[in-house]
Parts: sequence; structure tokens; C-alpha cells
Amino acid sequence: MSLAEFLPEILLLAGALLIFLFDVLGRRRLELVGGVAALSLGGALLLVVADLGVSGLAAIRTVPAGSVDLPLAPSLYAFTSLGFVFQVTFLLAGLFVAVASLSRPSDEKGASVFFGLLLIATLGMMLVAVASDLIFLLLAIEVTSLSTYLLVAYPRRDERSLEAAMKFFIIGALSTALSFFGASLLFAAYGGTSFYALGPGVAFVGFPLLAEIGYGLLIAGLGFKVTAVPFHAWAVDVYDGAPTDVAAFLSGGSKKMGIFAFFLVFLGPILLLRSAPDALPATFGASLQLTLGILAVLTMTVGNVLALRQKEMKRMLAYSSISQAGYMLIGVAVGTYPAIAGAAFQVFAHVFMKTGAFLVVAAVAGLGVGPLIEDWKGLGAKRPALSVAFALMLLSLAGVPLTVGFVSKFVLFSAAVEAQGFYVWLAVAGLLNSALSVFYYARVLKAIFLDRPDPTSPVAGPLTGRIGLARSAVIAVAAVAIVGLGIYPGPVLSGISTAASHFVGIGA
Amino acid sequence: MSVLTPLLAYAGLVPLLTFLSFVLVGFLGNRLKGLEWGGWIAVLLSGAAMVVGTLVAVAEMLSPGQYTDVSYTWLTVPGSPGTFPNGVSLVIGFLVDPLSALMLLVVTIVGFLVMLYSIGYMHHDHGLPRYYAELSLFLTAMTGLVLADNLLEFFLFWELVGVCSYFLIGFYYEKPSAASAAKEAFLVTRVGDVLFLLGIFIYFATYATAGGGAGWAASGFKFANGTQPFLGPLVGTNTPLLTVAGLMILGGAAGKSAQFPLHVWLPDAMEGPTTVSALIHAATMVAAGVYLLAVTSVFLGFTPDDQFAIVAIGGITCFFAATMAVVNTDIKRVVAYSTISQLGYMVLAVGAGVTMVGMYHLFTHAFFKALLFLAAGSVIHAVGTQDLFKMGGLRRTMPLTAGAFLVGALSLSGIFPFAGFFSKDDILGSVFQAAQAHPAYWPFFLLALATVFLTSYYIFRAWFLAFGGPAPRDASLPTAHEGPWVMRVPLIVLSGFAIAAGFFVFDPAFASLLPGAGVPPTYTATDLGLSAVSLGLAGSGIALSYTLWGNGRIAAAPTGIAAQMRTVLLNRYYFKVGYDWIGRRAVYTVARSADFVERYVIDGTIRGFEKLFSRGSDLLRRAQTGIVSDYAGYVVAGLVGVLLLILYVGPAIVQSMGGG
Repeated sequence: MSLAEFLPEILLLAGALLIFLFDVLGRRRLELVGGVAALSLGGALLLVVADLGVSGLAAIRTVPAGSVDLPLAPSLYAFTSLGFVFQVTFLLAGLFVAVASLSRPSDEKGASVFFGLLLIATLGMMLVAVASDLIFLLLAIEVTSLSTYLLVAYPRRDERSLEAAMKFFIIGALSTALSFFGASLLFAAYGGTSFYALGPGVAFVGFPLLAEIGYGLLIAGLGFKVTAVPFHAWAVDVYDGAPTDVAAFLSGGSKKMGIFAFFLVFLGPILLLRSAPDALPATFGASLQLTLGILAVLTMTVGNVLALRQKEMKRMLAYSSISQAGYMLIGVAVGTYPAIAGAAFQVFAHVFMKTGAFLVVAAVAGLGVGPLIEDWKGLGAKRPALSVAFALMLLSLAGVPLTVGFVSKFVLFSAAVEAQGFYVWLAVAGLLNSALSVFYYARVLKAIFLDRPDPTSPVAGPLTGRIGLARSAVIAVAAVAIVGLGIYPGPVLSGISTAASHFVGIGA
Repeated sequence: MSVLTPLLAYAGLVPLLTFLSFVLVGFLGNRLKGLEWGGWIAVLLSGAAMVVGTLVAVAEMLSPGQYTDVSYTWLTVPGSPGTFPNGVSLVIGFLVDPLSALMLLVVTIVGFLVMLYSIGYMHHDHGLPRYYAELSLFLTAMTGLVLADNLLEFFLFWELVGVCSYFLIGFYYEKPSAASAAKEAFLVTRVGDVLFLLGIFIYFATYATAGGGAGWAASGFKFANGTQPFLGPLVGTNTPLLTVAGLMILGGAAGKSAQFPLHVWLPDAMEGPTTVSALIHAATMVAAGVYLLAVTSVFLGFTPDDQFAIVAIGGITCFFAATMAVVNTDIKRVVAYSTISQLGYMVLAVGAGVTMVGMYHLFTHAFFKALLFLAAGSVIHAVGTQDLFKMGGLRRTMPLTAGAFLVGALSLSGIFPFAGFFSKDDILGSVFQAAQAHPAYWPFFLLALATVFLTSYYIFRAWFLAFGGPAPRDASLPTAHEGPWVMRVPLIVLSGFAIAAGFFVFDPAFASLLPGAGVPPTYTATDLGLSAVSLGLAGSGIALSYTLWGNGRIAAAPTGIAAQMRTVLLNRYYFKVGYDWIGRRAVYTVARSADFVERYVIDGTIRGFEKLFSRGSDLLRRAQTGIVSDYAGYVVAGLVGVLLLILYVGPAIVQSMGGG
């Protein structure tokens, strides 16, 4: 192992330590600590992207057909091209939130805690993207989880945040317990926890039932992270109670980490069992896919149906975030490389649409507008640029053409149709859900652009609050990316497709 | 080949020109008060689009049967080995073939005329930049749809057209009825859109299993490849899956073209400005459904079962909508119902296998229906009401409008030699022939035939009420006057088309845009007999209309009645003068029951869905207690569910599906 391989991660860690050091020295100005956070996130992003640029995606190991890009010998970590794609996603989400948060009042309390924990949470996510051992993976997830519990609670005087953090922590602890219990059962069944050990060519120790139950427990444990229904109930309370910038990070970053963990843990059994059918009951791979498929449909439907009647903007976005997780799970359930590419692209796109949308919500709250959707009435006339950016984000979430959300859904659903059989129904469910989701997004757009503000609403007044340069810039970048990638997705999409094809081998 | 042939590659200019108009007017309109808030820019650019569109159509006529395709790959989904080795591409391209050239001609000409007319008609409204920008965007979407070279692109523009229609119906969004009409139109057509998309998916999956996926999917559902049609009709017999796919396409078309039972939105869409009704809800967008059926029948093909369903929907719609027009008192709604009815004729023709005859009617209908709407708009502009019973005698003050409406009415009624005569007669003749091979078509042929009578009756009723008689029945109406020249010119041009457009197909070059059986119409002894019957029916419709509503009748009772005209008493009055009460009764019953179906069954179903989801939402929300131990309970329950699925249910299902 060479430390140079982990340069981006080290940069994040160093940034976090520097921030805490400043804190001890009493230098807590938001611009200073935020600047350090943004610089180390930006630097790490540049390093990862440069790495991709120098070695190229193709240079990373190509995997034989019918297998997964897993280490050839037991090891704790492995660099995969798909992992890099996810790292870019995580760093983007972190960077967006960090830069946008620079626009907050500079004497705000707890800035060093916020930015320091943001870096550590991102560090954990970076490690998840290179994990190749179940225990390493779960520990990396814990690094992120523990920091995000604290992130939710960092405004210590706010009871809502504290309550949200408590709920988050309790359900999180339960899920962690389930995951580790599952991992221990898998250890018993396979005699190892490296994904290498879970692969073919290693003697299967026995106890297939233990392995099956182990995977079931991991679905529940990791399902918490991706907010799969019915492991989702915490998410809305937490997104709602957490500071909005933290909610932006949770939905844009840490949930995506869960998706990648799903890829690592479940694609192995799904794909490998096709080539090594002796290991577990012959039907196991297929029934695992069926379970994940049902989970996906349940997640998108419940999320959408609940979003329909929400009156609060943040809660509506939280539920829509749950339904988006359902679309991403389609990629895991289908498991072919186009589907993985679709899910990875959706994850990537989600940073711009959902993280962006939460950042807009924070900006609008900063203007003094209330939390309800009806409080936003007439905003379109007062803040046209901000409103148009938000409209683009919502339209993209709804999957309207010429936005990146359309491209990702198109790829994902066509991949499901390509896979034939049961998976076609996943695409159908996804389509019907997309149609349903238009209703609640349209309602918001109507309020913003067509309705007049209530006379008592702040929107009817002069609306003098400032959004801040940094936050405006992030929102603008996200909006431009939504349209840019919607019109010209070519290079990014083909890069992600290549990465996905290397991850599972084209023959899968 | 001709000198114009190279122009075919530049058909994409048409949507680009109107898009330019959208951008210019949308961003600069507020500063262009002198140019009618950007209206003149829109007129100029849509005029340019019309010139290009016409030249393209002429070029296509001069090189009959040419397929010219210019396309770019937008995005490529990686493929899996086996079914789709080359992946699936989303291609954006412009295809000129006979059908799209014909549609391009219609859309750009009517589009330009309506834009010009708007300058006068909309002059006093607020929000004009928005109006011209949205109308330009609509023209972009519509011409993009017409020129789409593949099914997915077609769908994208189809959606964009729907969005524009939503905005334009709701143009007067401060009026609650306009806002709700816009919503209704959007929701109902969206039902159709989802069906359409499902249809595309089924075709996609079918091609994959048939082994054709490699080329077909890689090309991105393209209609044509280079200079040849790429997709041939793939069905001759009934296959359940393809039948379902065809029915889904029919569902999509029914939503857009307001066919039974998805017709409910169109009459309410009249809440939009009349110009919008003329362009979108008469000549172009509502015809897109018919165009979709035509494109599908040319490039994919319908199964016989599908064809029967299409014939049935078309036949029922054309009669059903006509009965509702008979009793309506709103000048725009009468014309709207007649649109639904005429679209029914076109659908009927496509279903009966004579696609090009349906398109022929689409072509003539676009002109005479736009004419009727613009003439109605001219009346509304002058007197400020849409209520027929308040009008009267307008032929004296608005002779040009009265003449234009008369030409439109004659054409709609199918009176020789107006345009509507040829195309409608062609449909009746062709369906008559088809019915001899498929006896199940007979009832729908008879409905279509009966509709001829109703059509001429209701449209002349409208004419007599508005233009006949000595003076307006509501004396408080302002004194009517003709509109400015920008409104008169479109009426004159469209009148010309409504008279002459029927003859175009007798020119072989023009007929090459409608390559198929039945165009141009032939006149055998049977055909002539049928023409005589339908002319007789149309004539008696006009005669009945005259007896009941004509000049003399109203002149005989000029006072006192005017105020009462709108009430049910009016109908009693006409009972006394010898109205054929059986016919009247029957018509009323049908109209009433149609109204019942519309109000309770269809609206009820839509509301039901809304309620269902709201209820579901409330129910699920109750689970969101905020109590953390409940959440832990869900996690445990979920875990149990997952384990059951993995260990027991999953394997059972997988085995029963024969997998492993």
C-alpha cells in the first residue's frame, strides 16, 4: 500500500484536522474554516479527476465477462473505475454544500464543527468507494454515519435538530447492528469478509442458510442508508429537522454512498452465482434480485404518494428524495452494466438536482420566506433567476426532457427494458411513478410562477434578504449543469458507461 | 429530383426559425411595445417558416416518395449482449417524407395566418410577450413533431406540444375556469401520453424478442433510414402483444385528438384565446393524434383487432360529438364539438385502412376549421360575447366575416364543391368499401353517415343565429364592425383554401404527398350514389336548420322572444311550429346521456384516482408518526419481510417462472 494512492482522502483528513486546530486556537470565523473545507474538497476533487484523466478509465483493470471488479487476492481496498465515479459524485456534493455554506453569516456559531464534520463524513464516503472488504465497508459507512449524526445536531440550541439527530442516531444504530450481524453470518458461511472471499474460486465453507440470512440482514441495514421503504421512516423527520444545508448533503451524498454499498455487496452474489451456481441455492441470485426489485418499486411508490400531499417544501423534497432512491435501486436489482451505468448516472445527476434544490430552499428561507409551499407563492416575480433555477431542478427531478433527470431516467428504464422479463415491470413502475411525480412538482411551480403572494406573506413585501455570492454561484452551476448535461450528456454518460462496464464485465 | 431537392435537407430550419422567435420574443418582448410586444417579430419569423415549409413541401412533391433524413445522435444507452448488442440511441433528426411534408404545409400556413390574425385580435390583452413566445414555442414543438424521424423524438415533441397547449389554454390564468380547463386538458391528455409511452415500450420489447432489436434499437426507433422507410409494417395478423401496443398508441392518439372517451378536455379548452383554439385545438395539435395513428399505420402497422377498435372509436366519436354540438349555445363550443366530430372521421378512415384518406381530410379540415374559428373570433372580438342567442343580424354589419363563416360552414357540411365535400365524401366512400369486407364496420359507417346530417344542421344553426335575422337579439351588444386588415386577410386566405383545397389532390404532384389507396378519390357509380345520399343529408340538415332558426322564423317573432331565447322555453316554441319531435327527442336523450357519462363516469373516474392517491397519501402519512420506536418497528417488520422474500417467496416465484 502506498500512501500516494490515498492522497485525496489524506487531503480531506488534513483539512478536517486543520479546522479543529483552528477551533482550539479560537479562530472560528466562517470564512476561514469554510475556506479550508472548500479548498480541501476542491483539491481532492481535482486529484480524483486528474487521476481519471491521466490513467483514463480504460486503464483500470478490465474485468472478464460474468464477474465483478473485485480484488484478485484478499485485500481491504481496491480502486475501481466505478468507485472513482462515485468519489467524484461525493466530492461534488460536499463541495457544493461547503461553498454554499460560505454565504452564511460569518459570526454563526458552530462553523468549525460543521465544516470539520462535513470533511470527515465525505472522507468516510470516499473510503466506501474503494472498499473491497465487508468490514472495511461497514466501518467506512460508520465514519460517515457518526459524523452525519453530529452534523444534524450541530445547531445545539435547536430542539428540532436535536430531536432529528436522536432519531437518526437510534435508527442508525439499529441498522448498524443489523449490518454487522449480517456480516458476521457471512463470515461464518464463507470464512472471510473480503469480497474476494465471497467470490468464486474460494471454497464455500457451508451453511448456505446463514449466508442467505446474512444478505437479508444487510439489505435491511444498508436499506437504512439509501432510505429504501420500509427502512425510510427516519429520513423525512431528519431532513426536515436538520439544517437545510445538512439535508442537502445527506440526500446528495450519504444516500449515494448507500447505493454504492448495495452495488458492492449484492452484485457479487447476483452475478457470481450465475457462474458459480454450487455456492448457494440455485434460485438465490434471482430471488435476491426479485427482493431488491420489490424494494425499488415500493420505495419509489411510497415516496411519491407521500410527497403528493405535503404542504412543506422540505418534506416534499425529502419524500421525493426517497422516491428517487427507488429509481436508483432499479439499477441494483437489474444488475446489468447498462442498468448500473443508469443508476450511477442518476446518482451523479442527483447532486445537481436534489442537493441544488435543498440549497435553494435554504436560500429562500434566508430571505425570510416561510417553510410551506404556499409561502413561496409569487416568488417567480420577485426572484426570477432563483425561481427559474429551482424550476429546472424540479423539472429535472420529474424527468422532463432537456434536463439531466430525463437522461438518467431514460438510461435506467431502457436498461431495465433491455434486461427483459420481470425487469420490464420495473421500468413500467418507474414510468408510472414519474407521471405521478409531475403532479406535486407542477403544484410547486404553479405556486411560484402563477399564484399571487398572500398579502401577509414576506414575498408580497420588499424581500430584502441576501442570498450571498457563494450560494448563488453554486445554485447557478447546478442549474447550468442540469441543462448542459440534459442537452449534451455524451461524454459524461459514456464515461460512466465505461466505468460500469469495467465494474461488472460486459458479459454480465 | 428537381432543383429544389437539396432543400429537403434543410427542413430543420422551420422549427429553428420559430424557436428563434420564441427566444427573441420571450426575452425582448417586454421592451418591444412598438412592435406589438414582439408580435410582429413572431409574424415575420413564422412567415419565414411558412416560406421554408412550403418550399420543402413543393420540393417533396417534385421528388415523389423521397425520404430525406438529417439526424444527430443525442445519447446512447449501452447495450447488453444478446438482445441489444449496439445499445439504444436517442436520435434527434428531421425526416421529410410525403406525410411530414403535407403536415408541414398545413402547420406553417395556418400558423402564420393565426399569428397575423392575433395582431388584431389580441391587441387589447395583457401579457402579449408571453402569448407570442408561447405560440412560437408551440409552432416549434409542432413542426418538430411533424418532422421527427423516430418514435422517441416524436414523443418528446408530443409532450412539449402538450405543455404549450396547457400554457395557452390557461393564458387567462386569472380566470378560474381557464386555469381549471388548462389543468383538465393537461391531465386528460397525459393519460393518453402514458399509454403512448407504454405502447412504445411494448414495440421496443417486441422487436427485441423478435431478434430485430440489433438494428432497430441501435437506430433509435427511426422511421426511415437514409432514403428508404426503415420500419416496415410488421403485423398482418393478431398477436396479443402487438394488439395491446396498437391500443396503447390509440390511447395516446385519443388523448391528443380528443376522441371518445378522452374528449372531455377539448370543449373546455375553449377558455383559451380564440386564436389558440384555431391553431392548436382545431388545425394542428389535435390533429397530431391522427398523425400519430397515420405514422404508426405506415411504419409499424396495426393488427386487425386494433383496426376495429380504431374504427369504433372514430365512428362513435364523430356521431357523439355532433349530437352535443346540436344543443350548444356557445359559438366556440359548437365549433369545438365539430372539431371532435371531424377528428372522429379521420380516425375512422385510418382505422378502416385508408390512412391517406384520413390525412386528406385532416388537410382540408385544418383550413376550413381554422377559418370557422377565426370567423367566430372575429364575431367575439366585435360583440364581446360567445352566446349565439344574444347575436343576430351580424351579416349586415360584418359581411366579410359572415361570408367567411358561411364558406367554412359549407365546407364543413360537405357541400359540393367546397373542400370538405371531397375529403369527407372520400372517407365515406372508402369506409363503405371497407365495410363490405368487414361487416363489423357497418354500424360505424352508418353513424358517420348520420353525422353528415347533424353536422350541416348544427353549423347552419350557428350561422343563422349569429348572422341571420335583422339585428342582435340582445340590444345591449355593441355595434359590430369588421376587424382590422390583419384579421381580414387571414379570413380571406383561409376562405380560399376552404373552397379550393379539395381540388389539390387531383394534381398528381400534390397527390404524391398522400401516397395510398383512395387518394385522389375515384367516382364510380356507387361512389356517386353515396355522394348523392350524403349531399342529400347535408342539404336536408341545412333545410331543417333554416326552417327552425332561419331568417323568416326569427323575423316572424322579433320582439319579446329575444330575452327568452336562451331558456328551455325556446325549445318548446319550436316544438309548436312542427319540429320533428322524435328526432329532437332522440337527439336530446343522446346528448343528455352523453353529458351524464361525461360528468359522472369520466370526470368521476379522474376524480376517483385523485381521491385514491390522496387517501393513500393520508393513510401512509399516518405511519409517519414521528415516534422513533415505531420507525424501529418498521425496520424490523421490513427485515422480516425481506427474509421471507429471500428465503421462501422469492425462490417459489423464481421456480414457478422456470428460472433458476
